[in-house]
Amino acid sequence: MRVTIDTEKCVSSGQCALTAPEVFSQRESDGVGVVLDEEPAPEHHDLVRQSEMYCPAAAIQLQDT
Amino acid sequence: MTAIENAAPRLPFDRGNALEIAPLYAELRGRAPVTRVLTPAGDPAWLVTSYEHVREVFRDNRFGRSHPAPEQASRISYAALLAGPSGNHDTEEREHKRMRRVLAPAFSAPRMRALGDHIKTLTDGCLDAMQAAHDAHPGEPVDLTELLAFPLPVLVICELLGVPFADRAHFRQLSERIALLDGRDDSERAMHEFMAYMSGLAEAKRHDPQPDVISDLVAVQADDPTFTNEDLARLAAGLLFAGHETTSTRIALGTLFLLSDLRRRDRFVADPDGQVDRTVEELLRLSATSNTGGLLRYAHQDVEIGGVRIGRGDAVLVATDAANRDTSVFSDPDEFDPDRSPNVHVAFGHGAHVCIGANLARTELRTVFPALFRRFPAMRLAVGIGDIAVRRNRLAGGVESVPVLL
Ligand code: HEM
Repeated sequence: MRVTIDTEKCVSSGQCALTAPEVFSQRESDGVGVVLDEEPAPEHHDLVRQSEMYCPAAAIQLQDT
Repeated sequence: MTAIENAAPRLPFDRGNALEIAPLYAELRGRAPVTRVLTPAGDPAWLVTSYEHVREVFRDNRFGRSHPAPEQASRISYAALLAGPSGNHDTEEREHKRMRRVLAPAFSAPRMRALGDHIKTLTDGCLDAMQAAHDAHPGEPVDLTELLAFPLPVLVICELLGVPFADRAHFRQLSERIALLDGRDDSERAMHEFMAYMSGLAEAKRHDPQPDVISDLVAVQADDPTFTNEDLARLAAGLLFAGHETTSTRIALGTLFLLSDLRRRDRFVADPDGQVDRTVEELLRLSATSNTGGLLRYAHQDVEIGGVRIGRGDAVLVATDAANRDTSVFSDPDEFDPDRSPNVHVAFGHGAHVCIGANLARTELRTVFPALFRRFPAMRLAVGIGDIAVRRNRLAGGVESVPVLL
């Protein structure tokens, strides 16, 4: 799985960073989401999918690798 | 259709008790996703009740909080808050982005997670006070609103913003008055007092900055002269209000949901940590508080939504309470189901304006319920759910008190 965030769409809700802190965080300057681990290990996949589904800005993209 | 069916119903709609929503929302959604209503002030507006269209409006930047001709805008209520258009039509987007840029880092998930232990300590202090109230008059009910639902979010938001907790009686009465739907002049006076109070705090931090959000806002002013003292005071007052009122209501309603059927309580008590995340999401989904129909937008252009043509300048009330119980998305939507998954509710809104305090609110709620039910596993309501008075004359409903026996 490859994870990216569209920073133009992101509204800095931090929903992903609360749900999957191993994979997502937020920029200190403006709260925009950042991906800490672009190819997360399988044990994180459920929470990453959840983050994508719940993102209030539909800013997270997942690709199969 | 008869004339009665055609007449736009006036908000707030009647509802059964604090845990239900007005049946009229589902009835209106059955007719169309977007229908005509009258606001509590009696002006025309569109009410959006379907989940799909609620999300569509939230994502559509042709809707905003400002109005192209504010003096002609529909009025929502006679409260001082969220009663009509706000901001300037030309600068709204820029100002909104600035607001989020400044606030989002202060309420980010990493910062809120770091606050978790401290929130637990503050919660334990509130629970001690509940125990002490019980011990002073054993067998008598304890008011969970006064001793937990109100003080806990206030303690937390005061620390984050840099507002003295000792002033809580003052800003509590101001918060109540600005949100009274028929408050009129008194609401406006309270808003002025509230802004003056916030300006005073900001002025002190201008000379002596602290690691808090009001100091952050003061620092923004240094670089951005268009961010006036009045803007700052209004935003800070809004934050203090939004930061406690909403979460406080969810703690009260959440407790009512868990206690109104003791099987729910016992299930939660059996494994609080394992169930808390989904339980909190379900409580957020079901907590319906709006007396004004929903979140306010004005159309900045002619827009067609759900087959309805909304004219430029029309008021639109986005009914998240109704969307969260839309049968096309949530099965048995009125049932409390702590296993519900997925549960993509819109309790914090959606899109560009989605709640900035959601990480904070979730952190508080995920802390408070396990701590509360671990401490008082046999807690029960001292009165029937039908006897809990719902506040109808305020912007956000909620309840006056939650009397419990420990
Ligand atoms: C359970 C508690 C809470 C609920 C249910 C809630 C709900 C909401 C909702 C529905 C919105 C969207 C408004 C709109 O689209 O017009 C919103 C926005 C907002 N909330 Fe919350 N909120 C809660 C707690 C908080 C807290 C603790 C804060 C603390 C700072 C906060 C600050 C804000 C701010 C600043 C906005 C405006 C965001 C914007 O316009 O971009 N909220 N909230």
